[in-house]
Amino acid sequence: MSAMFSRMTRPTRRRLLFLAAANLCLAGCIAFLLKEGASFANVLQRTFPEIAPICLAGFALTGIIYAGGIDLSIASVITLAGTIFGVAATRWGFPPWAAFITCAGAAWLLMTLNGWIISISRFPALIVTLAGLPLYRGLALVAADTGVPNFSGNITVPGAAYHFPGNSIPGLILGIGFIAALLLENYGRHPRLWLALGNSEEACRLLGLSPARILRNAFSVGGLFLGLAALVYVTRVQSIEPARMALGFELQVIAAVILGGTNIFGGEGSYLGTFLGALFLYLTSQVLVYAGASPYIQEAITGGIILAVIGVDCALHRRAKLMEELA
Amino acid sequence: MRMWLLPIFLLLEMALFAVVSGNPLPGSATYWQSYFGDLLAHSAPILLLGFAMTLVLMTGGIDLSVGSMVALIACVMSSFQGGTHFWWTALPVGLLLGLTLGLVNGVLIARFDVPPIIATLGTMIFYRGLCFVLMGDLEKSPFVDVPGYEWFGTFSGAVVLTAILFLAGGQYFLRSRWRREILMIGGNRIAARYAAIPVERRLIQTYVLVGLLAFVAALAFTARNSSVSASSLSGLELQVIVAVVLGGTRVQGGSGSLLGTFFGVLLIAVLDEGLRGAAIWGAKNLPFKISHLEYVLLGLLLLAGVWASNKMKGRATE
Repeated sequence: MSAMFSRMTRPTRRRLLFLAAANLCLAGCIAFLLKEGASFANVLQRTFPEIAPICLAGFALTGIIYAGGIDLSIASVITLAGTIFGVAATRWGFPPWAAFITCAGAAWLLMTLNGWIISISRFPALIVTLAGLPLYRGLALVAADTGVPNFSGNITVPGAAYHFPGNSIPGLILGIGFIAALLLENYGRHPRLWLALGNSEEACRLLGLSPARILRNAFSVGGLFLGLAALVYVTRVQSIEPARMALGFELQVIAAVILGGTNIFGGEGSYLGTFLGALFLYLTSQVLVYAGASPYIQEAITGGIILAVIGVDCALHRRAKLMEELA
Repeated sequence: MRMWLLPIFLLLEMALFAVVSGNPLPGSATYWQSYFGDLLAHSAPILLLGFAMTLVLMTGGIDLSVGSMVALIACVMSSFQGGTHFWWTALPVGLLLGLTLGLVNGVLIARFDVPPIIATLGTMIFYRGLCFVLMGDLEKSPFVDVPGYEWFGTFSGAVVLTAILFLAGGQYFLRSRWRREILMIGGNRIAARYAAIPVERRLIQTYVLVGLLAFVAALAFTARNSSVSASSLSGLELQVIVAVVLGGTRVQGGSGSLLGTFFGVLLIAVLDEGLRGAAIWGAKNLPFKISHLEYVLLGLLLLAGVWASNKMKGRATE
């Protein structure tokens, strides 16, 4: 474990410390605000299942942002995977396990596809995935229209067996994903390559590494995490609504990743930070809930906090970037 | 992209949808009057925002918050009472709000150095959240009680608004030093700084201008639709970006044209209108609702537009 921290840059370590302290403070606030009769253990128990989708999707994005890319289309990818899951479960009569594999597999495939398109076309990752945003959502709508007879806006998947991963074991899936991410970061070769690419594409090329292949690899490994995220997200909701499902999810995920100390320009960060960042966002919203804020105001406040954190983060990175530009 | 290709694409698209949905073909006098006039009035907000977005893309930035910005301005204006005094209460407030929202984007991007797409993705959600705080689930329409207000939504209003901006503003813009400076910022930001261009100030000016145009777009939108709710105009930013990119503006910055944007907006508007008109044909021949195809097409068109403008750029530099 000590190797893990010594590999991180100093700002990342400092960020982890800040987040750990902030999370403890927020948990303290919740304990303080709890009404009579509500137990704090219950709140904690609910926390990990609740943050599972954001956290897992955050792990997916962390590796991609390491490599200097980004994926704005994750919400649409989850929606399309969810729609395919719904069609598979209701229309094609897949047994639950096969439907789960289809869902996770579809998400992995779409993200890998994004990586391929970006590395072949050499368009900015932002633009390709910005195009993916309406494209995948539109495909989800078309798929739902075609696959479900008398489609009326949402697909309801009956049967508790189909909701097993999202309702019964999201915490366990998050645990597996978290451990996998930590192992990958500490012992894997790939995250080092992604970080190298994010730091300097030119240096990578001079070293004889192929930037395009590294980027594809980052997307493909990220897709595995996104598959888990899609699985949890999709099986948790009661009905799948392609037009509105997961709207704005990508911003929450990006916020969690940036909050966790991962540099938005690539080349610096940690998976542990992403986890703590997601936890921070969730605890903030819970504090607002227990303080009795209305849901609309909650949304605006959370949005404001996300903006403030990202703004401050970029401002802190600014001096280094300016020096680099002038050098 | 070669400019002369765009009108040809436009005519082809019109012909395609005329066949599919049974619209009259371009050429007859009634066609231009009814179809095209309506189309222009309907797409005036997109056109106005398209001009703004062209400038933003020229600097190498992007603004995803335009849809939320217009919605928020419209929501705030709609909380005023209708009547004559609407002109000198709601409108100045809306104008000021537009400038402020643009300034927030500009400061985030220029001063704090947040990547434009992240900053405006954030403000897009944040401004939309403010709309919901303000409106809840209500839908308000004080605009119908304001004398003379509906003029902004008519054909002549849309034409006058866009013509003033496009001819007067565009003519000034085309010859201005300001244009060359923002193009240089988009082309090479570091070189621009060495050339003593005030990069931060130019960027902030650009985003404030987007806010201003968002206000004008809010006028055109509310006058035409006469009511507004917290969720109006969501997804508008994507149409605007696709239109601008189709018009030949490079997303990486450094080149762009307002005339191209004009044709790009028309392409998108014809597509939007055509898909709506083709609903009956779609129901007969396709297994899905044809309106859902619009998202797919927008995504594909964005990729195609980027590809085309990169291709042209590559040929020019070789």
